[in-house]
Amino acid sequence: MRRYALRRLSFLPIILLAVSLITFMVLRVLPSQDPADVVGGANATPEQKQAYREQLGLNEPLYRQYTDWLGHALTGDFGKTFNSQKSVRDEFVRRFPASFELVMMAMMFSAFFGISFGIVSAMYRNSVVDYAVRIFAVFGASIPEFFLLTLLIIVPSYFWSYSMPLGGYVPIYEDPANNLRLFLPAALILGIGGSSGLMRLTRTTMLEVLRSDYVRTAKSKGLRQRTVVLTHALRNAGTPIMTALGTSFILVFSGSVIAEQILSIQGNGLFFFTSTLSRDLPVVQFLVVYTAAVVVIVNLLVDLSYAVVDPRVKYS
Amino acid sequence: MATVADHSINVRAEVAWELPEDRPFHRRAWRLAKENPVGAVALLVVVAFVVLGIIGPSIAPYDPGGLDRNARYLGPSAEHPFGTNQLGRDVFSRIIAGTRISLIFGILILFLGFIPGTTMGILSGYFGRWVDYLIQRSSEAWTAFPQLPLLLTFVAAFGPGLKPVVAVIAIGALFSGSRIMRVVALVERHKEYVTAARSTGATEARILLRHVLPNIMPFILVGVSSVFAIAVLAEAALSFLGLGVAPSEPGWGIDLRDGLESGSRYPHLVIFPGMAISLVVLAFNLLGDTLRDILDPRLRGSTGARR
Repeated sequence: MRRYALRRLSFLPIILLAVSLITFMVLRVLPSQDPADVVGGANATPEQKQAYREQLGLNEPLYRQYTDWLGHALTGDFGKTFNSQKSVRDEFVRRFPASFELVMMAMMFSAFFGISFGIVSAMYRNSVVDYAVRIFAVFGASIPEFFLLTLLIIVPSYFWSYSMPLGGYVPIYEDPANNLRLFLPAALILGIGGSSGLMRLTRTTMLEVLRSDYVRTAKSKGLRQRTVVLTHALRNAGTPIMTALGTSFILVFSGSVIAEQILSIQGNGLFFFTSTLSRDLPVVQFLVVYTAAVVVIVNLLVDLSYAVVDPRVKYS
Repeated sequence: MATVADHSINVRAEVAWELPEDRPFHRRAWRLAKENPVGAVALLVVVAFVVLGIIGPSIAPYDPGGLDRNARYLGPSAEHPFGTNQLGRDVFSRIIAGTRISLIFGILILFLGFIPGTTMGILSGYFGRWVDYLIQRSSEAWTAFPQLPLLLTFVAAFGPGLKPVVAVIAIGALFSGSRIMRVVALVERHKEYVTAARSTGATEARILLRHVLPNIMPFILVGVSSVFAIAVLAEAALSFLGLGVAPSEPGWGIDLRDGLESGSRYPHLVIFPGMAISLVVLAFNLLGDTLRDILDPRLRGSTGARR
């Protein structure tokens, strides 16, 4: 399995190379606005703009621009932001903890709600709990997260004059209470939004597994229901659930951009968003490559988890 | 596993869809509606959505873009059922008029993304080979990437506006349409009726259009329903983020964003547009679910549009 993981990881640079090349070309060939205008602002004189073009290397042929970017990227230098002329990498690193905390916390909620309610719903099929879970799953896929996040701001404020602590970021290890006041509800909404697909899938897979012969055998030899469900059935429903967890992660990752935007959380989602609107190409370029890396690694982890959950899956 | 499920789809489809032909259409429709009350209500909401999208702006009680300085921030009342906003515009009228942009967006995605995707999927499932492989792999690459960052990249390249938004969502619909229809076509091409038609000397084009297409129509309708759910949701989300329609147009996402600023004091400005979006998306999801249930009761409660 280690060899399989290493082989899969060796594809990562190739994929990132392809992604970075495509992004670079799309961003440079189709600029809706001259990058020199972005850097110089609206009042730059033609001479100043020419100087900026020279400085950014925009007069070089396209392939040179890309190889220059790549050469620097390999040493960990992803250029400077157009808007503030700060290191893209430093700006990213500074914002990383906030995004990481939000996404991880949301994923924990998503996994917890999705899997546990999916199991309960399958165990007590057609019961009140099952109906509630199924209704919840449809609603969860229909009510937009941005609506719920908006309600998160306005409802406490309207009814209890309590305003959410928007913006700012205190690391959780410095001031847990203040940190959680913002991140807990935000992650809860994001996680619940990402859990509906997982819940549905856990339910259907468990329904199928619970009907199987070995579950009947396990029950008939007098094992406790908990043991039957959690060790016999869940283990066998493991692989589809891991796949759905991966899908759920991608949803939560996407949703975190919206959440950071609405709640002014200073993370990379908001960074991506504002850089897009201000046409800060080096930032967009970097964040696309970063996102691709996250996707590839998450997919790899999902694939590897199959072997952990299900010993019948062997990688060689 | 796929083959077992697909087989059962087809067995049930013949039973459920071919209610006695001699009964008049309205009787058969009524029976279907009685058996699926949730789906019937969802269908009503969908029909209302389409009708309002076409005639909405002309039947709105107030001008959705009109200004009334004396009627700002009014709460819901008999005169203004959903209240008025910061410019004195009637929220109810704006929601009715805002139906249009959602409908237009849905139709754009349908024609630019889903229908070409369906065609692509049927052709690649039916004829297979390397085209099939190519479409499959690009589809996987595209759907693996988180959609919002993908869209932001397009906006960075093309500038904000409806075009990049439509492009990204349409390509997504193209791939999801092709993925669903490919599987359906793969199963369908080994059916006896296809062999039978071929043995009578029918051309491949004729088999596809006259025999295969009618048989897979229900699956296409399920897809259309979920494409609309996704499109309405996406349009609202992107307008909310300021990446979609121009701020002056009435649209649910834009109105929700505008309401956020004063929502703590006037929550009706947020709640009504948000409920409009949720209701329509819910209706399309439930309609799709119902169609799928009719096709295959085995899958009951297991589906729904994914974002």
